[in-house]
Amino acid sequence: MTDRADPSARAAAPAPEDRAGRLPGGLRRAASWHVLAPPLVFFAILLVVSVANPAYLGPFGVSIATASAAPILLVALGQAMVLNIGSIDLSNAAIALFGTILFALTIPATGLAAIVIVLAVVTLIGAFNGAVLAYTQVPSFALTLGTFGILQTASLVLSGSETIYVSENRELVTALYATRAFGIPLTFWIGVAAAIAYWTMLRFTVAGQNMTAVGKNESGAIFSAVPIRRVKIAVFALSGFTSGLAVLAIVAQAGSASASGLGSALLLPGIAAALVGGTSISGGQANPINVIFGALTVAFVPIAAQALGFGAQAQSLVYGFFIIVVVTLTTTRARGIVIK
Amino acid sequence: MADAAQSGGGGTRAAGPRTAPRHGGAPFARLFGATTGPVGLISALVVLILVFSVLNPRFASVENLQNVLFQVSVPLILVVGATLVIQMGSIDLSVEGIMGAAGMAWILLSPNTRLAIDLGVWAWAVGLGVGLGLGLLTGLIYAKLKVPSFVVSLGTWYVGLGIAILLYGNSSLPSLTSDALERWPTALTLGLPNSFWLAVAVLAAGVLISNHTRFGRGLMAIGNNEPIARGSGMPVDLYKVAAFAIAGLLCGLAGILATMQLGSGSTDIGFGQLFIVIPAAVIGGTALSGGEGGMMRSTLGVFLLIILNNGLVLAGVDPDYQSGVFGLLLLVAIIAVAWPGRDRLKVAK
Amino acid sequence: MTDVPPVLKLTEISRTFGKIKAVDSVSLEIRKGEVIGLTGENGAGKTTLLKILSGIERPDEGRMEINGQVANFRRPTDALKAGIGIVHQEQSLFTNLTVAENIEHQNIDRSGLGRFGIQNWGRINRSAQEVLDKIGVRLDPRARVGDLSFVDRQMVEIARAVSVDPDMAGTPLVILDEPTAVLEQAEVDVLEREIRKLREFASVIFVSHRLDEVLRICDRVLVMRHGALTSDRSTEGVTKDELFRAMVDETPRLSKRDRAAPPQPGPAAIAVSGLTREGKYRDVSFSVRPGEIVALVGTNGSGRGSLARTLFGAETSDSGTIEVAGTRVGGWTIPRAVAAGLAYVPAERKVEGMIGGYPGTRNIALAHPEAARSGPFLRHAKMARIAQDWFDRLGVSPNDIRQPLGQFSGGNQQKVVLAKWLNNPDLKVLILDHPLRGLDVGVSQAVNREIRAACDTGTAVVLIPDTIEEALEMADEILVLKDGEVTARHDMRTADGLAVQEIVAEMI
Repeated sequence: MTDRADPSARAAAPAPEDRAGRLPGGLRRAASWHVLAPPLVFFAILLVVSVANPAYLGPFGVSIATASAAPILLVALGQAMVLNIGSIDLSNAAIALFGTILFALTIPATGLAAIVIVLAVVTLIGAFNGAVLAYTQVPSFALTLGTFGILQTASLVLSGSETIYVSENRELVTALYATRAFGIPLTFWIGVAAAIAYWTMLRFTVAGQNMTAVGKNESGAIFSAVPIRRVKIAVFALSGFTSGLAVLAIVAQAGSASASGLGSALLLPGIAAALVGGTSISGGQANPINVIFGALTVAFVPIAAQALGFGAQAQSLVYGFFIIVVVTLTTTRARGIVIK
Repeated sequence: MADAAQSGGGGTRAAGPRTAPRHGGAPFARLFGATTGPVGLISALVVLILVFSVLNPRFASVENLQNVLFQVSVPLILVVGATLVIQMGSIDLSVEGIMGAAGMAWILLSPNTRLAIDLGVWAWAVGLGVGLGLGLLTGLIYAKLKVPSFVVSLGTWYVGLGIAILLYGNSSLPSLTSDALERWPTALTLGLPNSFWLAVAVLAAGVLISNHTRFGRGLMAIGNNEPIARGSGMPVDLYKVAAFAIAGLLCGLAGILATMQLGSGSTDIGFGQLFIVIPAAVIGGTALSGGEGGMMRSTLGVFLLIILNNGLVLAGVDPDYQSGVFGLLLLVAIIAVAWPGRDRLKVAK
Repeated sequence: MTDVPPVLKLTEISRTFGKIKAVDSVSLEIRKGEVIGLTGENGAGKTTLLKILSGIERPDEGRMEINGQVANFRRPTDALKAGIGIVHQEQSLFTNLTVAENIEHQNIDRSGLGRFGIQNWGRINRSAQEVLDKIGVRLDPRARVGDLSFVDRQMVEIARAVSVDPDMAGTPLVILDEPTAVLEQAEVDVLEREIRKLREFASVIFVSHRLDEVLRICDRVLVMRHGALTSDRSTEGVTKDELFRAMVDETPRLSKRDRAAPPQPGPAAIAVSGLTREGKYRDVSFSVRPGEIVALVGTNGSGRGSLARTLFGAETSDSGTIEVAGTRVGGWTIPRAVAAGLAYVPAERKVEGMIGGYPGTRNIALAHPEAARSGPFLRHAKMARIAQDWFDRLGVSPNDIRQPLGQFSGGNQQKVVLAKWLNNPDLKVLILDHPLRGLDVGVSQAVNREIRAACDTGTAVVLIPDTIEEALEMADEILVLKDGEVTARHDMRTADGLAVQEIVAEMI
């Protein structure tokens, strides 16, 4: 019964606006720091490695690092697109894992058509997530945690808990890994291409503009006639699709698929890469190009740790501190905002 | 997950007057800290137990019930800490990492096959201290540096895992050499396994904190409306740090208990626990947005998931289906909660 | 009179926001047991005055004394400790905690209700029960606040407000900020009884638009206008008419609108018939022709905001019809409304009106990207040109189309919000909810100029004005809503000499 649009109680509180108006320079610097931090962090690591142990930066080292970065990059790109609208997709790595098994099972019979089948299926799974989110308005965290569990079971059941080796038509997909340009496998270049495509979309298309608007202020977007449901479904479908590209990278590299194989532990590195790539966890801030550097950083941390003599075991520890430090440095903190 | 929209003037809040109070089953509801008593949850549990008993008589056997209680202990300890954190609207992902670090620290300082050190009680102090320290770290960075708890605890997950891996090193698997320690978790006291008694003690402390202290009620208040809590002079930051510290401590304890149950150290001793704890809390009615739910409800959630799993295994269902069933249950639970509140202006993150 | 100091004494309190003097040298005294009515139009400064009293805002100038002591509040808790309790229109209770906890929340640490951080539930409940008994409210202290009705929650807020330290020497002061705006009559009766009870041991400030209630309940009534106190009189012998005059500017009786707006032929741009939303508005019918401005006036509880949002597809109606350009609409949503040429400038500018993190270019292109679009792509150069045109035309300052809109002042933000909708050449209906809220005179004129310009090109306007003067200045027709129903209609083209006071009387 409240005339909700008439809260004279909240009339005229121009004070904070004035304050903000006086500091545009400072805020702008923060914004540019957001854009520059991810490549700076990556190149800093690169510099450290090249000084400490240049042998790691030889052609072989680069090829190994970029190969291991490829699936992380792809999963992280999908995650960044979802984070950009203020949601999260905890199921994207599970989608990728499910996809690898489906792919390994279908490629012997269908050949290249398997790529289309897998991409279609994973995109649909993503769209399902988005549709449930859009129509039931459940929190995406819990929703995708649920689909994560379902997909894990689906992977186990579909694979019979066994490793599926791709034998027939194997070369169709392993070529993606074996073929290199500038010493970097094609799988990584797929990620770069996707990043550029997504960056272009966010920056230069109506759809991208709508997505970021939803992430920055969903209520404002609703009242500006942004088709919220379509945006959410599309973004989650995109996350599924990108996980499908990760499927190709994983199977190309491993030549096999299993529910516990390569790709089963991509969720956290994916989120970490997205965050280190400057994506805001609260939405409205994502730069797919920087996610490339985020993924490279995440893939490079173990190498750097080794080059510095820490041994591979320090990798997780370094990861952990890295995520905290980088996000602490790049988080924007407005007064009065509630951080959860 | 920073929720900026919440403070923005109630664009989506229904402010209209509400009609007469709903009446929940009074004493029941009080214990469970909410008026809409967990009748559904309890009936679901009862139905499950009946169905599984019919499907396989072994389900209702004493040994199996003891087994269920044994399995329930670790997630039950974890869910107490997780509930405190979720009640204030934050999230703690670091569970599995902290469990690994604390469990590994503990076993290496207890009688084991790897190192000759046996610190006895001090091994416990170190193990729990690792958990407390990591929890404090999470809480401080979250509350003081205002980094979303999701990200910080993701970081401490890795940090904990890293500590566990470093402690594990390259040498052999550390196994417990003390029979007493190894047998303790399964040994029965008054017919119930010791593991479970430990969990019950933790739960009792959790209920006390949550329902009977300024701090526990303050967490609920923060989850309900943080600006009002701050405005009324509540030490919000202190409470946040304390909640994460307690959660960390309990993850440490759970890590030690799980290590004891296994009899040997493992870096991923906590593997899969997060996927039990968060769904359990959510299914129990602890909303991820904060301010709702309670210890006893989360406990019911844990029991529901563990009994479901146990019963399905006994009924001959492949254990592979466990996560799928959990996931499906989680989906049904959150959709059932969200369905009546749908609104075209609602912001769903 | 006696040597008992007044409960509250303000001496020349002022508070300025930018160029606006929200509170202008207000002095007043409230004695023990007095019930004071405070009234005035929206934006008259009541809210800011209340914020000063409750420690949310600090005055720039002036002196505040509580029970004879000079008070200098730094935060809301200071005001509570001094015995000032505010019952806000938007309640500030923890809905997930119990009645007793909400009442005693402030007191637990200092008054034996808990020790070592442990809450003594028995004592808390008993103590809360005592407070509830004292104010004569029958509520279970163990009930969860979220389960209570709105008026019951108000009672909890009142209980909290008077539950200050029992050792406190002075008299508590309870401020009720428009408590009746959302209440049904029966609930208003409960509240009135409550206030009479309160005066036995506390003083009360009762803020309300409803003059009948103010005159019935209060001993004295204060009127604010433009931040200043314009009337301070005993309710004995004062007439509503005198209060109206104190509330609104001395305006000459308005004659016919000077802008000639011949009704255009063809169907109405938007027409509603028998529109009802339970609990908000009932059986509302009106139509707006192209080029016409219809103003909806009413108080906070009148339902006009909800009505405007229904037109825009943001809320649904329970019955009745909406016709846009002669076609009845169904399944009305915001995207459909916008596609049909509707636009809505919301009152909640920052939350609903704009994307603060986006620059002017993107904010303007958001609702109608057509102009700067080729296929799926946006043409940035075109977007910039469009934005620059609007920034220049509306005089947005700073004139920087790339700066995030959140960093602009409210007035400049509002100009951009307006530009977002005016950028549609097929704009049919412009719905404005408090378009001048928080704006200074210069910006207000610019905004009004644009609204008229849109009208002249055939846009129909539905206006929810801040003040009646705004309605009289802008509208061709005024609809008065009261408690969700249309109580009067004035065609400004024929109504000669309609006075503000008359309209106010119809609203209240």
